[in-house]
Amino acid sequence: MQPFTLRVLARKDVLAGLIFIAVAVFGLWASRNYPIGTALRMSTGYVPRLLCWILLGLGVVIMANGLRATGERAAFAGAQHWRALIFVPGSLLVFAFAMDRLGVVIATVLLVIVGSIAGRELRLLEVVGAAVVLVVLTLVIFIWGLELPIPVWPER
Amino acid sequence: MGDFFSNLALGFGIALTPMNLGYALVGCLVGTLIGVLPGIGPIATVAMLLPITFHLEPVSGLIMLAGIFYGAQYGGSTTAILVNLPGETSSVVTCIDGHQMARQGRAGAALAIAALGSFFAGCFSTALIAMFSPPLAIVGQSFGAPEYFSLLVLGLVAAVVLAHGSVIKAIAMVVLGLLLGLVGTDGNTGAQRFSFDIIILSDGIGFVPLAVGVFGLGEIIANLMAPEQQRTIVQEKISRLWPTMQDFRQAWPAVLRGTALGSILGVLPGGGATLSSFASYVLEKKVARDPSRFGKGAIEGVAGPESANNAGAQTSFIPMLTLGIPGNAVMALMIGALTIHGIQPGPQVMTERPDLFWGMVASMWIGNLMLVIINLPLIGIWVQLLKVPYRLLNLAILLFCAIGVYTVNNSAFEIMLTALFGVLGYVFMKLECEPAPMLLGFILGPLMEENLRRAMRIASGDPMIFIQRPISLGLLIATVLLLLIVALPAIRSKREEAFQEN
Repeated sequence: MQPFTLRVLARKDVLAGLIFIAVAVFGLWASRNYPIGTALRMSTGYVPRLLCWILLGLGVVIMANGLRATGERAAFAGAQHWRALIFVPGSLLVFAFAMDRLGVVIATVLLVIVGSIAGRELRLLEVVGAAVVLVVLTLVIFIWGLELPIPVWPER
Repeated sequence: MGDFFSNLALGFGIALTPMNLGYALVGCLVGTLIGVLPGIGPIATVAMLLPITFHLEPVSGLIMLAGIFYGAQYGGSTTAILVNLPGETSSVVTCIDGHQMARQGRAGAALAIAALGSFFAGCFSTALIAMFSPPLAIVGQSFGAPEYFSLLVLGLVAAVVLAHGSVIKAIAMVVLGLLLGLVGTDGNTGAQRFSFDIIILSDGIGFVPLAVGVFGLGEIIANLMAPEQQRTIVQEKISRLWPTMQDFRQAWPAVLRGTALGSILGVLPGGGATLSSFASYVLEKKVARDPSRFGKGAIEGVAGPESANNAGAQTSFIPMLTLGIPGNAVMALMIGALTIHGIQPGPQVMTERPDLFWGMVASMWIGNLMLVIINLPLIGIWVQLLKVPYRLLNLAILLFCAIGVYTVNNSAFEIMLTALFGVLGYVFMKLECEPAPMLLGFILGPLMEENLRRAMRIASGDPMIFIQRPISLGLLIATVLLLLIVALPAIRSKREEAFQEN
């Protein structure tokens, strides 16, 4: 026997069910003080709490399906290259932080650097080339072309 | 009938202005450009390019968006035939015979038949939209709150039933979407819900971060994390583009069948391109005199599904434009775009903004024509594009997502939200939870709550109103029937079979 709990937990349906249950419980907790009202005059909490209870029920059923299932259906079986899961969203976060203060040019360069860590092979020359091309494209399309009101350079 | 022509004349008058023609062309080009990339389908493409269209006039923006959508659809077929990697689920079946044809040196014929079949289907279904939208909108206008609520329920349930994968997970995703749609200020009482004192959240979760994150970013993460796939681009030069007479003889009945099937399936909630192309492939195999040819380069296997998916993609505009109800994720994105342009989707669009409605319908036909022109002679360029390594393309896509999201509200917070939804989108993809029903729930959530509350006020709190009104009752009976049908074991296995054709 393999360690039982972990393998069962990694099943797609079990994991999905758990996520839905977690969201529902969190929603019920967050809406604990919302006035519910009556069916005639529904107040703020009526629909949200109703939906949370439905989601909770669905989550339980989905998880039960997963626990009962016989075939092994591990969730992240084929996934490799876990770097991407961190550095793809990471590149957006860096861009977001840089955008307001440093402007779109520096933010673009930062996004390219962080984003290329997410890829498989890192070639310095390619990254530099991509950064230059993308900065030029950004300036041409968004700043001169569409004339979007976004900061271009760092504010003084 | 006189109306039909004067309406179309109005539409073409708007769609044929040089500016709108330009936007349609740019949309088709950019859509094809991104749609050609393997692993990025029309939903992701439309989601990523949405923000750019917000800076245009509503009519131009929607024309461009529609162009992007068809472009992405066509681009996906090109990739399916030449690389054997479907860029989108609706091209999965095109891969089967299309790529075999390409390996036999008939890539040109496959591409040409796909383009011409799609063009025929596009012309036919555009005419359908022009004919059937006005009467449907009149029906829609007679709906009160109870009817509208029941219609929304039917739409959501049908979308779930016709989506692939587990039905119960799809329902859970709809509910999750409905909940996400509630975040922000309650329209009725002005109270805050689930906004956790974050000021930006009091306006609700942005539609753009959600869509771009879950569909665009989620796909990029999934592509980068998947094991390296063999990209076998067909190397031979595409010398003969024009199909032979025999190709035409075999293809045209399939094109007709595909167009008819797609036009019907597209109107159904949850229908659209994917369902149409799968159904058409199954049909072609059934009616073929020698089914063993399929999978070995049968031209009907390309002609049928490609016509069907284009017809389905087009007619799925009918419920969106006339009732304000999106049948699939791309239409949900269209609804979101309309709302951001300040247009309340629904039956009144046609009467209040005839320019917008008919301009868009006319531009659909123009877009289809442009795509044939763009795709066939320029096919060499798209093939070259497939040789650019993905690690460089994904940087460009990431950047355009980031800038696009930022420009909607000049908000860095929304980029962060996009990153969060991207991770979520990837996780859901891996857990086989379809994100499309979630997006539908998110878009329809506020509408549903509003109509539920109004209906309850009309009926003084008595939920029986939904079954006392005949139209509402009929819609709810249809909903229950649909749910019962999926629950039947015989149909369930058939449904799974239909979605696993390869």
